[in-house]
Amino acid sequence: MKQSLHSTTLGNGITIVGEHLPELESVAVAFHAPAGAIHDPPGRCGLATVTGEMCLRGAGTRDSRRLVEDLESAGVQWAQGVSSTHISVSGAMVARHLPEVLPIFADILRRPLLPADELPAARQMVLQNLAGIEDDPAHRTLATLRRLQSPAPWGMPTEGVSAEVEAIEIDEVRGFVARHLQPDGMIVSVAGRIEWDDLVRRVETLLGDWPATGTPRVATGPRGPAALHVPHDAQQTHIAVGWPQPPYRDDASHEATAALAVLGGGPSSRFFTEIRERRALCYTVSAGYQTSRDFAHAVCYSGTSAERAQETLDVMLAEIARLPGTITRDEVDRVKARAKSGLIMQQESSAARAGAIARQWYHLASLRTLGEELVRYDQLDVAAIEAWLEAHPPRDLTVVSLGREPLEVRHALPA
Amino acid sequence: MPFLHERLPNGLDVIAETSASAVSTSVGFFVATGSRDETDEVSGVSHFLEHMVFKGTGEISGDEINHRFDAMGASANAFTSEEDTVYYASVLPEQQDEAVELLAAMMRPALRDSDFDTEKLVILEEIRMYDDQPPFGADDRCRAAFFGPHPLARSVLGTVESITALPAAAMRDYHRRRYSADGIVLAASGAIDFPALVESAKRLCGDWEPAAPDPRRVPQPPRLATRPGTERIVKASAALDYAVWMVAGPDEFHADRHAARVLAMALGDSSGSRLYWSMVDTGEAEHAACLYQDYLDAGLFVTQLSCAAADVDELRDRIGKLYAAAAAEGLEREEFERARNKLASRVVLGGEKPRRRLFDVGLDWSHAHTYRSVADQLRLVENVTLDDVHRVLQAWPLDAPAAAVIAGPEEVG
Repeated sequence: MKQSLHSTTLGNGITIVGEHLPELESVAVAFHAPAGAIHDPPGRCGLATVTGEMCLRGAGTRDSRRLVEDLESAGVQWAQGVSSTHISVSGAMVARHLPEVLPIFADILRRPLLPADELPAARQMVLQNLAGIEDDPAHRTLATLRRLQSPAPWGMPTEGVSAEVEAIEIDEVRGFVARHLQPDGMIVSVAGRIEWDDLVRRVETLLGDWPATGTPRVATGPRGPAALHVPHDAQQTHIAVGWPQPPYRDDASHEATAALAVLGGGPSSRFFTEIRERRALCYTVSAGYQTSRDFAHAVCYSGTSAERAQETLDVMLAEIARLPGTITRDEVDRVKARAKSGLIMQQESSAARAGAIARQWYHLASLRTLGEELVRYDQLDVAAIEAWLEAHPPRDLTVVSLGREPLEVRHALPA
Repeated sequence: MPFLHERLPNGLDVIAETSASAVSTSVGFFVATGSRDETDEVSGVSHFLEHMVFKGTGEISGDEINHRFDAMGASANAFTSEEDTVYYASVLPEQQDEAVELLAAMMRPALRDSDFDTEKLVILEEIRMYDDQPPFGADDRCRAAFFGPHPLARSVLGTVESITALPAAAMRDYHRRRYSADGIVLAASGAIDFPALVESAKRLCGDWEPAAPDPRRVPQPPRLATRPGTERIVKASAALDYAVWMVAGPDEFHADRHAARVLAMALGDSSGSRLYWSMVDTGEAEHAACLYQDYLDAGLFVTQLSCAAADVDELRDRIGKLYAAAAAEGLEREEFERARNKLASRVVLGGEKPRRRLFDVGLDWSHAHTYRSVADQLRLVENVTLDDVHRVLQAWPLDAPAAAVIAGPEEVG
């Protein structure tokens, strides 16, 4: 398949990445500013998130309402989000609307009005979201795992902490924007029906003269304890288990993620087969991979009735321990087939491709063609995965439970 | 995007929307059965059966089904609603025959007692999972209150009691009655080899028995017998209140259904709507939305609100006033056009994903023996006028007495 991938970096450090998908009518665009929650100062967990919300409350010549209405009049399916590393705004639309939409997104990042009278509502919106998360046990369990196994500040909840969000003042939001919402390291990703040269000209006109101020470094601290029980009064107990993995940019991530897929990546995976199909212990069980630029983790999850949770955890740990030395060729073939067809089918979604090329640029500072990705999967085999697992067996596990009673970590795994 | 259709002698319809540019092939069996086709004794059987279909046939084990889908690199799954049970797989085009073969075999499951007893535990876990998360069952309870004796009152999942009591024999009987050749559509979208699809269907499904199922639409009075009033579900550990209320709207055959969609978008979309600006943007509600849902013989406007328990009465009241104001004064032209543009954009963007088109094409055919291309759908949305929306506001008042349920932390006196 002929693929047309592009990238260019402007003088101020903004990188534009693009993929032309000629069969689509749509285009998806995302602006990722390196102003994520890892930059929240001490005692202000949630400042990046409040800032992201404030950026939508008026920008350039538009007030809050006009901004949303202009995006939606153009039929833009837009989103704004904050991760540990980025504040992002994105939208998918019929391609002819892109020229009128790019300046709105540029204004949001470059000329947010940050009106003081909008802060109470923005803060309140973030607090509402936090209250909603309180009622989402799976989200809380996985967020707790992330907090425990990541070094500070990477594990802090990007959504914020209520008491700290309540204390955020407008000057802090404005200061955060001044320090962090700047072009150096920003990624603009576009996929779909695009004309690359025209797109670059437009982005350059909008953002090319925005002076860079440099990205502040983030000091990393210690991680949390290896096990934690969170009391929660409900029928089900939720379980999350994680351990370190190589980050995406490390070549070994290929073998590592394949091993995780064997463990819990699909209906024929070991977790699904042993825990759900064989023992009917739960409805949901999975194993996945979560990566930052410099570190990564395995993330396993299940939720089940309180009285069956201990057995579920026991079987999860036993399957994790059993993984090295037992992987079969059929399992690897299935993992490869799933990964390859997933990559190919991504070509049908402009939003999926815009996300994928932005991630690649962030982690690798380069783009891999579909052909290169497929070749990498072709080269994957049992021997390579087993060699990697032998050198890096699952160890240093972190276990989180959320429910009425704490669980016991009975299975012995290397510390 | 050519549309192709062939009916087998036993009544099974084979349809496809083919696309020369698609890189994927999606196929699905659309079974015209769901919770509305159940009785009290078998409440939840449609959804439980959907799980059992993945547990194997006389020749193929459940493990083998999972292995074969993964080996194809398939994205395969199923869902059950009030009116439909759908099994589907998205694969690369070279896997079309294999995906159809496996799905077709699954439609005639073994329904073994041992698998039934094991899978029952998984279903019970699924029920508990939804019970533990917002809206804590408020949606099911509200549906029951709204529909009263109408079959759409039934819960898709059933209850712990109904599932525990369900015998395997009742499921076998239900399967025999509901999974007949003339109650199933084999639909496909994307890069489809249609002659091969028909060939597969003849070979794999040609001996399925027809059953001439009963008509499913239930003649209704113009308004369903609602039981207005608010029920309360107490969840001591909940952080927020979750309110759901329902009033009648046009059904899926009604000419005003697209106007109803535009109206719900303008009043209660998750961003940029009247509800959004009134209470989500201000941080007073965690979520406030108005959704339009259509069924074979009924329609609903569903309002969802989550907020602090102390605010729920005031915000419900505010939404009622907002609906009344819309009915009295209508929508502004600009607001109407924006909502219509948003809906049109969703049609276009959704339409370019063959995996998504499968569901539109399959369900339209299963319900109405109708095919609508993306261009047809777009035209239907673009033809909606402000007068149409105003007619819906008068004919289906959103501030009418509603069935309402609130789940939250405290009992109100």
